[in-house]
Amino acid sequence: MNCNELREFYELYAIGVAEDPERAEIRAHLNRECEVCMQGIKKAREVAALLEGTAAPAEPSPKLRRRILAAVGVEERRFGWAPFLAAALALSLFAVVYFIGQQGDTQRELARAIAVQRSQNIELTRLNEAFAILNGSDTAVSTFGGGEKQPPKGKVFASPSQGVLLIANNLPPAPAGKRYEMWVIPKGGKPQPAGMFQSAADGTAMHIRHGITAPNESLVAVTLEPEAGSDQPTTTPLFAAPIHGLVP
Amino acid sequence: MTFFLPILMAVRTAEDDTNLVERMQGRDPRALAELYDRYGRVVYALILRVVRDPGIAEDLVQETFLRVWNRVHGFDAQKGSIGPWLLAVARNRAIDYLRSAGGRERNSVEYEETDHPALYTDMEKDILASDKARVVKSAMDKLSPNQRQVIELAYFEGLSQTEMAERMGQPLGTVKTWVRSALKNLRDELGAVVSA
Repeated sequence: MNCNELREFYELYAIGVAEDPERAEIRAHLNRECEVCMQGIKKAREVAALLEGTAAPAEPSPKLRRRILAAVGVEERRFGWAPFLAAALALSLFAVVYFIGQQGDTQRELARAIAVQRSQNIELTRLNEAFAILNGSDTAVSTFGGGEKQPPKGKVFASPSQGVLLIANNLPPAPAGKRYEMWVIPKGGKPQPAGMFQSAADGTAMHIRHGITAPNESLVAVTLEPEAGSDQPTTTPLFAAPIHGLVP
Repeated sequence: MTFFLPILMAVRTAEDDTNLVERMQGRDPRALAELYDRYGRVVYALILRVVRDPGIAEDLVQETFLRVWNRVHGFDAQKGSIGPWLLAVARNRAIDYLRSAGGRERNSVEYEETDHPALYTDMEKDILASDKARVVKSAMDKLSPNQRQVIELAYFEGLSQTEMAERMGQPLGTVKTWVRSALKNLRDELGAVVSA
């Protein structure tokens, strides 16, 4: 069939209702890229295209897009609000944790600084006190521990106006639950508790006790006592030094 | 009956289709994503209208887009919108499914026709624009009920004229007359649109 004979079947062909022999003829013309039939079918397709766009609106599921793109190798990330919200939430949580952490760190630093300062103040006060005793015009000094093998050694400074300063070394830290207790023992009298202390890791210790008076020929002694302290010595003194000048 | 309710085709079918086709020919998968964003709903609506099953429709939409993706090299990007070809492929995939599911002979000729994208070029670039839908609806409204029915059976059910005659209990000659008169009326009504 020639193109002119096929012309009236173009639209039937375009909407899929052409029948043989015209259908086969048009197909043959198209397959050999017959310009007349190509143009005719293109024109007929326009009406078909318009009609194809008249279906009632419908919405496919969102998954379909991902399925199609996955088929050509594109892994679509879900681009809804959920990831943004999740990211925002994560960021917020991170920020909260971070700033709380920052704040916590700051507070910890501050607390540590305060503790250090307090400790240094205490130490400074103690040193001032110690110097006051050492420098006291009424201070007398005595030593202890001399001659023994690795004994606790040190000095005791006694001032009736300032108090007693004990400086020791070779005095290992008291074991857990124990502390050192200083005593002022008047000759022939009852030991007076003069405070608890602990030595440092290097075996040094400094202990000050104010408001102590004692007659001459008294002793300053140190014993190992329970942490809570004792009213009377419960162990043999680790060392003792004679003191003078605690007479009020 | 919702048939021929014009779909709101908020699709941009103009100049940027050219760029889209060129990118697809360059195997840019993002261009396929854009094509889907532009035409996915229209294609789905058309296929659903034919197969009336959302699950099957989605499978066929996927086949349609992949078929276009695989054959886009034959499309002349400079000569028109890819939309009409895409819709033709979609319709043929849907009708082909309907015919095979119904034990009917596949319409192999038409199926192969869509393998010639050149047949879909030179079409007015915005032939699928939303304002055209109103004109189409108006043209359809002017058809007689019998004319509308044969167009519906042809477009959305893929029936041959013989099958229509059986379905409608009418002589084949009568059905052929309805089909021809319906097409002529549509052409007359839509002439201004398609020839613009």
